[in-house]
Amino acid sequence: MLAASHLTRQFGDRVAVEDLSLELRPGEIFALLGPNGGGKTTTLRMLAGLIAPTAGTVTLDDEPVTRDTSARLRQRVGFLTETPGLWDQFSVRQNLLVYARLHGLPRPAQTVDDAMEQFGIRDRAHDAAATLSKGLRQRVALARAMLHQPQVILLDEPTSGLDPESARGVRDLIARARANHRTVVLSTHNLDEVERMADRVAVLRRRLLALDTPAALRQRLFGSRMRIVLAQPAAPLAAGLGLHGVSVDGSTLSVDLAAAGITTPDLVRRLAAAGADVLMVAPEEPPLEDVYLRLIQEGASS
Amino acid sequence: MISRIRALLGKEFLDLRLNPSVFLPVGIVGIMSLVIPFMIAVVVPAVTGERLSDSPDFEMAIEQQRVRQTPGLDPEGAVQVWLFEGFLLFMLIVPVVVATGISSHSVVGEKRARTLEPLLATPLTTFELLAAKTLGAWLPSIGLALLCFGTYIGGIALVAEPGVVSALLSTRSFSVVLLLGPLASLAALQATVCVSSRAKDERSAQQWGSLIVLPIAGSLIAPFLGVEMTLAIVLTGVAVLFVVNVVLMRVAIKVFDRESILTRWK
Repeated sequence: MLAASHLTRQFGDRVAVEDLSLELRPGEIFALLGPNGGGKTTTLRMLAGLIAPTAGTVTLDDEPVTRDTSARLRQRVGFLTETPGLWDQFSVRQNLLVYARLHGLPRPAQTVDDAMEQFGIRDRAHDAAATLSKGLRQRVALARAMLHQPQVILLDEPTSGLDPESARGVRDLIARARANHRTVVLSTHNLDEVERMADRVAVLRRRLLALDTPAALRQRLFGSRMRIVLAQPAAPLAAGLGLHGVSVDGSTLSVDLAAAGITTPDLVRRLAAAGADVLMVAPEEPPLEDVYLRLIQEGASS
Repeated sequence: MISRIRALLGKEFLDLRLNPSVFLPVGIVGIMSLVIPFMIAVVVPAVTGERLSDSPDFEMAIEQQRVRQTPGLDPEGAVQVWLFEGFLLFMLIVPVVVATGISSHSVVGEKRARTLEPLLATPLTTFELLAAKTLGAWLPSIGLALLCFGTYIGGIALVAEPGVVSALLSTRSFSVVLLLGPLASLAALQATVCVSSRAKDERSAQQWGSLIVLPIAGSLIAPFLGVEMTLAIVLTGVAVLFVVNVVLMRVAIKVFDRESILTRWK
């Protein structure tokens, strides 16, 4: 599987990526989050073997990606660049056929026809790429990146600038790739997309600020909080509980379980014993945006 | 390796079919290289009613043997051979103009259209990329140069004095068209690729690339300054260009740095 170890990349005096290590798992969607200029594209390019790290190594199935091996190893990696990069005057089919042949696929025409069917672009097969909408262009570019059935797919902002319907279409295609046991690395600014799709998230601002599942990152930064809605005002009952880490908003209690030193069933039992009518108990999940911003701020201050 | 070069070469030819405007500059150069010699050697004498061999300048040139007397040719034919041989060097500039035009379109154009990065993300090696890009510009340039040469010879056969064509179909002429021209075009091509790889932006790449035409253009003036382009000079030029091409090929592969092309050009 694809792994990076202590990757650093400098452009002159500017350090774009510093000491980045990560290991991808088969069949996962891995999101790279970070501000503009945070090193996401540089990281993807290093993972794709397009640019060499100044220090550190990238390995694919334990084989180092070097100047000598990168051409061969790129056969197992698909890369969707930030812009679709289609030849505008070529038809959709012609665009894909060139890549099918470059990858040395045994039946290029058949493979291209199958890919167009799978990506829902067959009816536009003979249209020039220039005539396609942004969403369709992105579909063609995705089809191109996955044409050779790569084991790792690197996607640089795949839904950037797409309308919601097109973005959903692209997300469905990415989800389908995961279902086919492909590993997907996704660079994006779209936190909602990460929330919906990513198994793990890396937050990058030149250095790796955090790497975990979205839920684990939430818990690490905000703790495990429960939100309890009562039928009556919550303040008198909260005071009676005598717990730490409790905040009140009308008839709603927000309890930090770790700070309060209590489990959810115990909390509900104590509230019921105190005469509370409990209407709803749910884990409180701060949006990923809060997690991201906290990490970025912490990264900046450190 | 061959299959990848062929795949990209096919793409290059399709690109040329869809962008015929790339051939506009060579169309102009080709027409000029065909029209000017016929204007001077055939049309002007016909319109003025004065044969070239009767003009004092050419009479002196014939006496001084700067215009060679060829057995079986009258003085007018000898002057026409001298002129058409001189203008034959225009056939050098045709493949060079085609090659630099296409290569600046193909290499720089890929980057401008942001189509280079997906291409570099395939298993294509630098050698394969350069080979396909070079052949994609070189083969059409040779084809067009041969077309111009055929038209040139055909036109001469139709309108020049009897015996002029056979005098022109010499080893020297074929060396110019079949060896010197293709090698000059290949050198110009590879130099453009080198410049494209190192230039900070596409405009400077194109400007530097176009400068490569200048030394070739200089050689056109030589015959009219009294420097006769003998077979020995042509073959020396062939040998020099062969060495230059080998060196340029190595340099092109070395300086075609994927990284700087990806990261330097915005």
